[in-house]
Amino acid sequence: MIASASAKAPNEEARLPIAYTPTTLPVVVDEAKCIADKGCTVCVDVCPLDVLRISDLTGKAYMKYDECWYCMPCETDCPTGAVTVNIPYLLR
Amino acid sequence: MSEPFEAFGDVEDLAADLASPDATVRRLAVMALAETSDWQAVPHLVAAIADAAPEVREQAARALGEFDGRAVGEALARAVTDSVAAVAAAAAESLAELRDADAGGALLALVAHPSPFVRTAILRGLKALQIEASLQPAITALSDVEPAVRVQAVGVIGYLKRQETLPALIGAARDGSAEVRLAAVKALSFADQSAEAAAAVSAALKDAAWEVRAAAAETLGRLGVSSASPALVAALADELWQVRQKALQSLGRLRAREALPAIIVLLGDDNPSLRKDAAATLGEIADPASREALATRAQDADPDVRKTVAWALGRL
Amino acid sequence: MDDITDGLTEVSCDILVIGGGTAGPMAAYKAKRRNPQARVVLLEKANVKRSGAIAMGMDGLNNAVVPGYATPEQYTKEITIANDGICDQAPVFKYASRCFDIIQELDSFGIRFQKTENGDYDVKKVHHLGTYVLPMPNGDTVKRALYRQLRREQILISNRYMATRLLTGRDGEIAGAIAVNTRTAEFLVLRAKAVILCAGAAGRLGLPQSGYLWGTYENATNSGDGYAMAYHAGAGLANLECYQINPLIKDYNGPACAYVAGPFGAYTTNSEGRRFIECDYWSGQMMQEFYSELQSGKGPVFLKLNHLHSDTIGKIEAILHTVERPSRGRFHENRGTDYRERMVEMHISEIGFCSGHSASGVFVDEFARTTVTGLYAAGDMASVPHNYMLGAFTNGAVAGEHAAEFAAGRDLPDYDPSDVEQERARVLAPTRRDDGIPPNQIEYKARRMVNDYLQPPKVTAKMKLGQERLAEVREDLEGAMVARDAHELLRSLEVASILDCADMAAAASLFRTESRWGLYHYRVDHPEKNDADWFCHSILRKQDGRMMLEKRPVAPYIVPIEDAERSAYDRQRIRESA
Repeated sequence: MIASASAKAPNEEARLPIAYTPTTLPVVVDEAKCIADKGCTVCVDVCPLDVLRISDLTGKAYMKYDECWYCMPCETDCPTGAVTVNIPYLLR
Repeated sequence: MSEPFEAFGDVEDLAADLASPDATVRRLAVMALAETSDWQAVPHLVAAIADAAPEVREQAARALGEFDGRAVGEALARAVTDSVAAVAAAAAESLAELRDADAGGALLALVAHPSPFVRTAILRGLKALQIEASLQPAITALSDVEPAVRVQAVGVIGYLKRQETLPALIGAARDGSAEVRLAAVKALSFADQSAEAAAAVSAALKDAAWEVRAAAAETLGRLGVSSASPALVAALADELWQVRQKALQSLGRLRAREALPAIIVLLGDDNPSLRKDAAATLGEIADPASREALATRAQDADPDVRKTVAWALGRL
Repeated sequence: MDDITDGLTEVSCDILVIGGGTAGPMAAYKAKRRNPQARVVLLEKANVKRSGAIAMGMDGLNNAVVPGYATPEQYTKEITIANDGICDQAPVFKYASRCFDIIQELDSFGIRFQKTENGDYDVKKVHHLGTYVLPMPNGDTVKRALYRQLRREQILISNRYMATRLLTGRDGEIAGAIAVNTRTAEFLVLRAKAVILCAGAAGRLGLPQSGYLWGTYENATNSGDGYAMAYHAGAGLANLECYQINPLIKDYNGPACAYVAGPFGAYTTNSEGRRFIECDYWSGQMMQEFYSELQSGKGPVFLKLNHLHSDTIGKIEAILHTVERPSRGRFHENRGTDYRERMVEMHISEIGFCSGHSASGVFVDEFARTTVTGLYAAGDMASVPHNYMLGAFTNGAVAGEHAAEFAAGRDLPDYDPSDVEQERARVLAPTRRDDGIPPNQIEYKARRMVNDYLQPPKVTAKMKLGQERLAEVREDLEGAMVARDAHELLRSLEVASILDCADMAAAASLFRTESRWGLYHYRVDHPEKNDADWFCHSILRKQDGRMMLEKRPVAPYIVPIEDAERSAYDRQRIRESA
């Protein structure tokens, strides 16, 4: 068996702290057009990767996680044309 | 605890929001009603076609594309005449989704509407319904002033596949607009073994528009009339390779032995797709006289040509 | 949303369908039509409205058997040959015999197929031998049309629930499944008399060249969960060494797409603009040719459209930039690629499991039954070679109908409550830590190891090293992976499926000591096809907690194949002269 790289000594908690790394988001929402604050949840509903959310602060939709298949139902199904899908930077 | 199952949605509850003073709320209500896919939603969606706000009417026109039947047909017929272009456009798309012949009545009432956009959308909607009553209005529409309307008229007639419409379609194959001629030439494909149709389509092999010539070449193969072969052989000299290719393919379907010399010439064409189709055609005709010519292409640089030559040689 | 919430609910039903993409909705629909009294649940990790491989529809049927154009016999032969003979023909023949009825039914749902000016189906030839391609230039509405039918049949839809393990009864028969809400982490135990697995391909197995975890060929939600669940329930999985490896637009990693552009006259070429393969139908042999061309220095490989008329290209653009992967248009625009001027650069994709395009899947018979009683599988994850979207629909229908009959005669099986407790502990383990390694890094590492050690050409020593590396990642997963919200928990569950699939890929590849299926299972140290010892399926199964592999004979053919026909797919380049 391979010894685990994160093996701990019996009395010691190994620390594995987590950082926040910035990333440019592919999906952009035009807040002027977005009607999420009136109850629309279409883009959040349709996303296969579940990465869109409605902000508690602004009441508008936004991309919360950079996990995008650039498939486009969010843009296509948005009733007001508020959503734009850009190709993720790493593939563009 | 979260609900494990999606709610089916109570139509009356959702429809209550159609009375909201806020147009956006009304629009969202239309979307929610559409989503239920419940036929009980139809009367509410029909009512929303008359909403004061264009975005609500547009959403309703789109939503009605999820349903079918007479009431839907009538509502969409109203919406396609809306003064706001986006509403009319949404209605036109939804009209093309109709399949229930019952919806036809409302559409027929508008075939002579003053707006060409409406006439186009109506005929497009009628096409899939394939109802007898649309035949005469469609034939009349072949003389419409707008080419887009005439194209859709050809569509309605083509789908019905009636022998008695051949003269009308043959006339449309000489229309002033290339798009209409293209549709008509394709629509004539159903007239299996018709010498009349073949003659008209052969004439189209000299059309100014390359797509019409290519479609004519393809249709002649489907019609199966051998007397069209000489015209197809002439088309092997068309300036566009796309037309030559269709002519080759049709000569194969017709098993046109007399075309052998002309086809053999194309075995040496620069274009690998043409060499391949020449080989395929020789294989379909299966005349032993083509063996030598085929053998010269056995080591062609293109693998698809080599494969087709092998197949063709196997057919001799 | 996304906060981890405690909760467990139990529901029961007659038939549980896991996966709401293509096969799943059809299976649920048909089960309900077969038995309107049945309680049918469709469980979906995302939302059925836009989930699965066909989130944005499909630009064509690639394997339609339409009367007048092809026969079930021809089709069965073609697929048997394309899959190097390893093909139980009964499910393929059944598919071929029924799929035209399914096309007509889909048409009645409002799904649009290309028709001639006379309203007939406009079928095109792309395969080597037969004519099976039916374009769908307006195919973007498929999901909405399906969804409508599901709502009208009153099928119970569970969106945003990820199934994690199947439940089995005392004798190993299916008893239901355990699922986790992807936004709240609440548990749902679903008891069922029959379960139909339709969770799609293992599309997050290899790492795309871009390095972006989500830039996959398959819908990135398809993380192989179905394969993992089937494995842990004791079902047999067939021919997992027959990887899916596709020819895709470089970097974009989606189809270019030769099946759509081919009928218009486009074709695949090398960098000189010359064809080097006979036909653009996706097969392991074709991918082998790609690979060889790349090695020869005449690469990269391209899809060539610039010899076509500008109007024709306009038509192709209208399809490719609206349906299935519409963002392709955006990608080409960014790169300044106009089909009229430049050829589309392609590359060889990362590996995956998929029976839609290849043959790696859960073993099924012609009733979509797996080797576990009461468990069915259909679509990309069920091993019916090259079944594509229409196969998913058709075999989903077969599964739904059979499951409905099966369930009608049965009581709800009992399950062991300790199985649920154990699964809760496994699922929630990453939430019990304050810090650790986040799922995205565990995933990146696992998939990078898959690329390094399992990507063909397969080398025995490398694959064994790969198993060691993957075992280390598994230790990190079990000992240090952390999930801080429900969304991260969802990703952590997917990583576990990915790792299971990686282990299965290695084990199956090491088992079959020959090469077969072109690049899909090209083993450098066993470079020849060996029909004497290996004309059989490989079946992988969980036994005593470990992966066990055995051979299973190919069922006797019902459509005979002539010797001369067998190698039609092999001779793409090797035959220098006709």
